[in-house]
Amino acid sequence: MPLTGYLVLAALVFVIGLFGVLTRRNAVGILLGIELMLNAVNINLVAFSRFRADVAGLIFTLFTIAITVAEIAVGLAIVIVIFRVRRTIEADHLDLLRG
Amino acid sequence: MRLGSPELALLVLALPFASFLALALIRPLRRSGRPAAAVSILAMAAALGAAAAMTWEASPAARGLNPARLWSWLPADGGPMASVGVWVDGMAMQMCVLVALISLLVQIYSWSYLADEPPPSLGRYYAYHSLFAFSMLGLVLSPGFLQMFVFWELVGLCSYLLIGYWYDRPSAARAAVKAFWITKLGDLGFVAGIVMLWAATGTFDFWPLFQAAQAGALHVDGLTTIMFLIYLGAVGKSAQFPLHVWLPDAMEGPTPVSALIHAATMVTAGVYMVARVHPLFELVPPVLTLIAWVGAFTALLAATMACVERDIKRVLAYSTVSQLGYMMAANGAGAPEAAFQHLTTHGVFKALLFLGAGIVIHHFHTNDVFRMGGLFVQRPWVGGAFLVATLALAGVWPLPGFFSKEAVLAGVLDARLSVPFLMLIATSFLTAFYMFRVVFLAFFGQARDHHEHPAPPVAMDAVCRGLALLTLALGLRAALGRHHAEGPAWLPWVSLAWALAGITLAWATYQAHAVDPARLATALAPIDFLARRRYFLDALFAGTYRVLLLGLSRVVGWVDRYLVDGVLNALSAGALRAGDTARRLQTGHPQDYVYGVALGVLLLLVWAQLG
Amino acid sequence: MTEILGFWVAAVVLVAASLAVVLTPNLFHAVLWLAVALVATGGVFLLLDSPFLFAVQLLLYAGGVVTIVVFAIMLTERLVGESIRQTSRFVFNGAVLAAAVFVGIMGFLLQAGVVARPAASGDQLRDLGRALVGPFGGPLQLLGVLLVIALLGALYFARAED
Repeated sequence: MPLTGYLVLAALVFVIGLFGVLTRRNAVGILLGIELMLNAVNINLVAFSRFRADVAGLIFTLFTIAITVAEIAVGLAIVIVIFRVRRTIEADHLDLLRG
Repeated sequence: MRLGSPELALLVLALPFASFLALALIRPLRRSGRPAAAVSILAMAAALGAAAAMTWEASPAARGLNPARLWSWLPADGGPMASVGVWVDGMAMQMCVLVALISLLVQIYSWSYLADEPPPSLGRYYAYHSLFAFSMLGLVLSPGFLQMFVFWELVGLCSYLLIGYWYDRPSAARAAVKAFWITKLGDLGFVAGIVMLWAATGTFDFWPLFQAAQAGALHVDGLTTIMFLIYLGAVGKSAQFPLHVWLPDAMEGPTPVSALIHAATMVTAGVYMVARVHPLFELVPPVLTLIAWVGAFTALLAATMACVERDIKRVLAYSTVSQLGYMMAANGAGAPEAAFQHLTTHGVFKALLFLGAGIVIHHFHTNDVFRMGGLFVQRPWVGGAFLVATLALAGVWPLPGFFSKEAVLAGVLDARLSVPFLMLIATSFLTAFYMFRVVFLAFFGQARDHHEHPAPPVAMDAVCRGLALLTLALGLRAALGRHHAEGPAWLPWVSLAWALAGITLAWATYQAHAVDPARLATALAPIDFLARRRYFLDALFAGTYRVLLLGLSRVVGWVDRYLVDGVLNALSAGALRAGDTARRLQTGHPQDYVYGVALGVLLLLVWAQLG
Repeated sequence: MTEILGFWVAAVVLVAASLAVVLTPNLFHAVLWLAVALVATGGVFLLLDSPFLFAVQLLLYAGGVVTIVVFAIMLTERLVGESIRQTSRFVFNGAVLAAAVFVGIMGFLLQAGVVARPAASGDQLRDLGRALVGPFGGPLQLLGVLLVIALLGALYFARAED
């Protein structure tokens, strides 16, 4: 399978993740969308690493996975705190930034 | 030609200015009233002494000598742009003496006339007087147009301040503003002319201009227009038609003020200016002809209006306008010496008339001549002084008015201005008539009330007697010595005859009651009608002001409110509305911000592809 | 041949699962579908000759992340018995924008030519290990610090009310 195929696949998954971020009401749902986007990025990195024979891509992927794990942990902790304080995690209700 | 010392001239200027500064800045002095008056009077007396000394010590000098002493004021490359200084020739010295003398006498007279004024107001009055004396003397001694214009405006300001001295009287306030406005109209032309002349020649000073004019080297395009504009200043200041309407209303001021500035000194500034700048006017004969015609016409017009006035001060005011017309006619006829001669003699006896009228008003407590009568019997000295002045004004030998009027008429005749000459002759008839009308009504005839009036205060009485003596002295000097007949031999007889005819008609109408004034009025019905309504000129000015000026200000106000402010308001409202619309972008929902980021990425991709 | 078949299987599963993640109303189901997607991604890694990363993906992502998300959902469920429902907002707008971004990326990809180098032979793992402690040693340590910070942060946020 040529490189382009993997890249297209990654783009597709990325865009689906973006769609999820944009449309989900629940904060956790948004985080799931972010997960998908990061996942797509990983596919991209590994594909390039494979087709360019560069191990840096794999290293990058490793780092990305680790950071994503950390981010998910902290993000969910925040979601839990918000739930405790405002008793809601619906994104539409969290509009304190409103101008 | 005799030239005076510039140092004495500066002293003459400095004394009233110092008095003004003292009164203006030292508040307790000014508010004390009588001491302030004393300061001003002493300063004026000293100034008179200096002016007299200047005339006495004037040394004869060659004709071609520059009478000006200048100090540079506005520096510029290649010589100063404007200078200040003094110009001390014969005419200036005589004028200084006249101004100082009349100012001093009026200030002494005011000491009694305004005795009932609260001290702070009195101090203010004398401060204004000092400022006026300084301004008038500065105008007289000016060596160039710029300095003359500065003092011209200062004199106008003093006129405004003094007319409106009783500023809580609405009529006085209105009269002061009217005087300022009308003279300002003339001043517009004046300043335009001065600037245009400077633009063409590069100087404001008289000496270089006169030198160039006399050598025939003054080549200026549009000199006729420039000199006409400069003449406009005199039209306003010396109450020539049609800008004469302010002078009768200026009688709202105290009578001594009328005597000083609306008879002897300020109004004559226009005549003085035209006489001073005569070498330039000589280059534009059409303007001179116009000056003569307007002068003669003004004289006749004002005389007709004086014939129907009841208010003694208004009669005198119209008389002043009329006599100013005489002086300007002489200027226009190319006889500035005659104009100046009439200026000086008129200054003396018109001041006397006004101050005498002050005593009359003081006695009868009214300005209306038809409510007066029989004063001569009660107060013969006052009557005598007033009579001397009236005879002088009517132009009866051997009083100075006769000689100066004869000189004016001779000059006008000499210039072959026949219609102005006839107008002036008719005016002399009317002058004699209306002045003696006043005399017969106020001083002779039946006294209306028979209770005792107190004698006029010493200061007022003394000043009047002094001026009467001066008038007689001037007349005698003219009769005995210098002024030989300058015109045709029949001229003095004709002018005298007309004057006597006027006196006779007045006697017949108001004393002997042989002629009914009402029948006289109906006989001259159209003139009578117009004269009583001041030829609708006041109405014309008021209407024009209302329509043009107020209309213009209404338009400007509308533009300011709706266009200028409107643009600003629209801009700010637009900004607010834009802000309100833009803030809707900030919904506070993070997903909307992600939308924004995604859009940005899209744009980036598109741009990357296109590029 | 098998590679291509494997790719298509993995691709279809991945895309289907992703769509399910973003479209399912039930959040819990979405998490489960995410697990499927993550496993499929692991399969893709395998096809790309990275067994190590396949293992890491399964361990950390499909194992750890999914577990955490499930916990979070359970803790934020509003009332006992009420299953988590949600409807999405502005689906159409999101779809349009997502499609547009996809088209943009595609256009960019197709336009830019990518040159492939011959695949490296031999043991990738050793190179990976050497690279990790060699040139990328510093970032590795920083990653460790980051994980500690994240841990502390999560602990702080999740502490009991006092």
